[in-house]
Amino acid sequence: MARKDFLDIVSLDREEIIQLLDQAEPFKDLFTRSVKKVPALKGKAVLMLFYEPSTRTLSSFEVAAKRLSADVTTFDVPSSSVTKGESVRDTIDTLQAMRADYIVVRHGLSGQPAAIARQTGASVINAGDGAHAHPTQALLDAFTLREKFPEMEGKRVLITGDILHSRVARSTSTILRKLGVKVAFLGPGSLVPKTASPDIPRFTNYDQAISEFGPDAVYLLRIQKERMAAPFFPSDREYHNLYGITDERLRQLAGEGTYIMHPGPINRGVELCDAVLDYDRCLISQQVENGIAARMSVLYGLKPQTS
Amino acid sequence: MSIALDQSAISTALSRLADQLFLDAGTDTIDLVGIRRRGDEVSERVAALLKEKGANVRLGVLDISLYRDDFEHLHENPLLQSSEIDFSIDGSRVILVDDVIFTGRTIRAALDAIFDYGRPAAVELAVLIDRGHRELPIEPRYVGATLETDRLDHVRVGLMKTDGEDVVELTQK
Amino acid sequence: MNLFLKGGEVASENTAPVRADVWIENGRIKAVGADLAEPEGARVVDVSGKIVMPGMFDAHVHFREPGGEQKETILDGSEAAINGGITGVVMMPNTSPSIDSATVVKRVLDAAKECRIPVLTSGCITVGREGHEMAGIDGMKKAGVLMLTDDGDAVPDAALLKRAMEYGSEFGMFFASHCEEPQLAGPRALNEGAVSYRLGIEGTPALAEEVSMSRDLALAHATGATLHIQHVSTAIGMEQIKWWRDERGAKVSGEVSPHHLMFTDEDIGDYDTHYKMNPPLRTAEDNIALLEGLKNGAFRIIATDHAPHTEFEKSRAFEDAPNGISGLDTALVSLFDRFIDKGEFGWDLIVKRYSAEPRRMMELEAAEVAEGKSVDLIVFDPNGETTFTKEFMKSKSSNTPFLNKTLKGSVDMVMLRDEVLLER
Repeated sequence: MARKDFLDIVSLDREEIIQLLDQAEPFKDLFTRSVKKVPALKGKAVLMLFYEPSTRTLSSFEVAAKRLSADVTTFDVPSSSVTKGESVRDTIDTLQAMRADYIVVRHGLSGQPAAIARQTGASVINAGDGAHAHPTQALLDAFTLREKFPEMEGKRVLITGDILHSRVARSTSTILRKLGVKVAFLGPGSLVPKTASPDIPRFTNYDQAISEFGPDAVYLLRIQKERMAAPFFPSDREYHNLYGITDERLRQLAGEGTYIMHPGPINRGVELCDAVLDYDRCLISQQVENGIAARMSVLYGLKPQTS
Repeated sequence: MSIALDQSAISTALSRLADQLFLDAGTDTIDLVGIRRRGDEVSERVAALLKEKGANVRLGVLDISLYRDDFEHLHENPLLQSSEIDFSIDGSRVILVDDVIFTGRTIRAALDAIFDYGRPAAVELAVLIDRGHRELPIEPRYVGATLETDRLDHVRVGLMKTDGEDVVELTQK
Repeated sequence: MNLFLKGGEVASENTAPVRADVWIENGRIKAVGADLAEPEGARVVDVSGKIVMPGMFDAHVHFREPGGEQKETILDGSEAAINGGITGVVMMPNTSPSIDSATVVKRVLDAAKECRIPVLTSGCITVGREGHEMAGIDGMKKAGVLMLTDDGDAVPDAALLKRAMEYGSEFGMFFASHCEEPQLAGPRALNEGAVSYRLGIEGTPALAEEVSMSRDLALAHATGATLHIQHVSTAIGMEQIKWWRDERGAKVSGEVSPHHLMFTDEDIGDYDTHYKMNPPLRTAEDNIALLEGLKNGAFRIIATDHAPHTEFEKSRAFEDAPNGISGLDTALVSLFDRFIDKGEFGWDLIVKRYSAEPRRMMELEAAEVAEGKSVDLIVFDPNGETTFTKEFMKSKSSNTPFLNKTLKGSVDMVMLRDEVLLER
């Protein structure tokens, strides 16, 4: 029996992940056809429910759903101040009335997509909730890495940046580890929690991480400007000097043939310098393209209980 | 359960398909597109026979999972595999190949699918077995064997590469 | 009333339960002893195999009146206490308005007169629990307040707390501290650790409690004030209380809540708000250390921190749902089910830490099942069981992880003075 919802990576087993990755390949093949659409979800209603603004993830899901011939509605959620006061039940009441078969939810509060999923027959897809999970990002990351390393077992990925607040770090590290990839975290001591996972090496020094861990790919997380208010580190410039991919570090990575990934949108001059975008092993644009195929695979693989 | 076609009957049916196709094609290239699963194996074997005759054959595989009309009734969506059509079908005379034709719904889905790859000049249909009971106005031009069945009978086709044996079984309800 | 409890075992704070019949007449315990003759005219209740013990006393409850009557009223809260075998409670002052003046104290105690058990109240240290001005201590004292606390929050200004301790000791009041350093505590949703990381919610480190506690204990020691630390949730916090008390002679004590003995942050599972309270559930190591502390006398009392919230409030997202667990209906049965029945500790500990000591802390006479004493007792059936349905629970709210669960043990009777408050 197929899953109703796609909420996090933690609850997927290795076989399910591999199946989702395998299924993303035929979808990616479609992109080169003259007709990029297939009728698999013809007549189905997909509701985009984004409580947090996100142009990229929203468009990626819209394209994915449309290429499956679904009818896509983007629900205009009012300002986030409203969402703070709204209970799950209020949200559900709104959704029931819209009779969606699939609901793609992004929410600032961790656990909201799961709470919605428990109360609706529609398939709920988590498009990012709080600092909890971003499972479709994880899937596209794994897919992108697998294109470069068909045998993923034993490969090494260094996830760098704001581990503490990042749902991408949580989901992507989880999916990669389930596929046998070795993951390490690197970032300022204030942003790499010691409690994250006893099995994931934790580095707070770039050079040490590179020399001791020897990554095949460096995965850069976006540094949110609002983290500066708390503050967790002194300045953007200091972050860039200590943890960013500078021209010098890029030369070093190029020498080793190391891939660079980033979930976007990027902060030039913080996580990376401009030259990274011209680096032949920078996978950022592949990640974007693969995101559509990965999301089509997820939509296709779920089974709503709406009929 | 009874054996409707044994190994040699299947061989005969495949040869019959190859003969008809060769006869119609003349010197033209024959573009076979097998429908997953088993249509691909039928098309491969027919292609081998055609090549023995000296015909020019191009072979493709079509996965129609995304075009099926029965998603609602399945517990799990069918496992998706890639379609592999390496040649341009624009202007070509495409022969769709499947193992069995029954209601015609699979072929309808395959027709939808093939037109999303391009605009063929013509599409023909070749099947190893025609068991009747069509629900759509679709008829194969090339038939390897015809089987008398009741609507509720179950026909199981086994092919060497896919199933490890060549056999067609008929289970009567 | 003339009642004869026949065949039970009488529990006390100093010994294991002793086989004894209990004869009650006109609100007094007339006789206690093995195989007493059935007194003439007495109603005989067979309590064979059951425990007869003093009523429990809970020195930390939130009754939400005034201002939050949709969650709990004083009357409903007191009935939940009776339902759980508790015959006396102390309210916390974080109502709306706060219980920070003689006027509000009188209003609350007036409402409490309807209740069938004594309902006491604490009073605020600062006006409106805002941490700026000292509340009217003398007036509250005269209205009947003994415990001063800003429970719900720590007093943020150490100098203000120091002065309040210096000032308040004159009135024979004692202080109770909710220990939490607000800057370290963050959004106060759950413990900081592997679970908060997994769930993606900013955690409150144990440190937030320990740092604040360290400050308050040192202040109490320096000023000579009597200080009670409320709902200790961390092993290190507990160790600090012991050290100041035993090594430095500070007049300090601590309390532990049943949920901090029984549950960990792992129980939150998939964002279950029934496990969301403040201080938050910590780790299994903390559970073990706190239980050990309860056994070896590190804690003076057990108290529930009964904190009712409506179903609607608890149905909100984990980060938005209010902190708190309802405790009065379930406390005694759950302590029996989890600890006494499993041999972790005996009835004497429960009587001492959940009946005698909290009453002494409130300068009340400890209830006893002994000849000549006023009647304040309960009958507990260790072979019974209790299913905590919404209908069973008398609290207006049902925000407990035990909702619809069946536990071993049952409170069969509750008696106070000349009245049977509960009998099932």
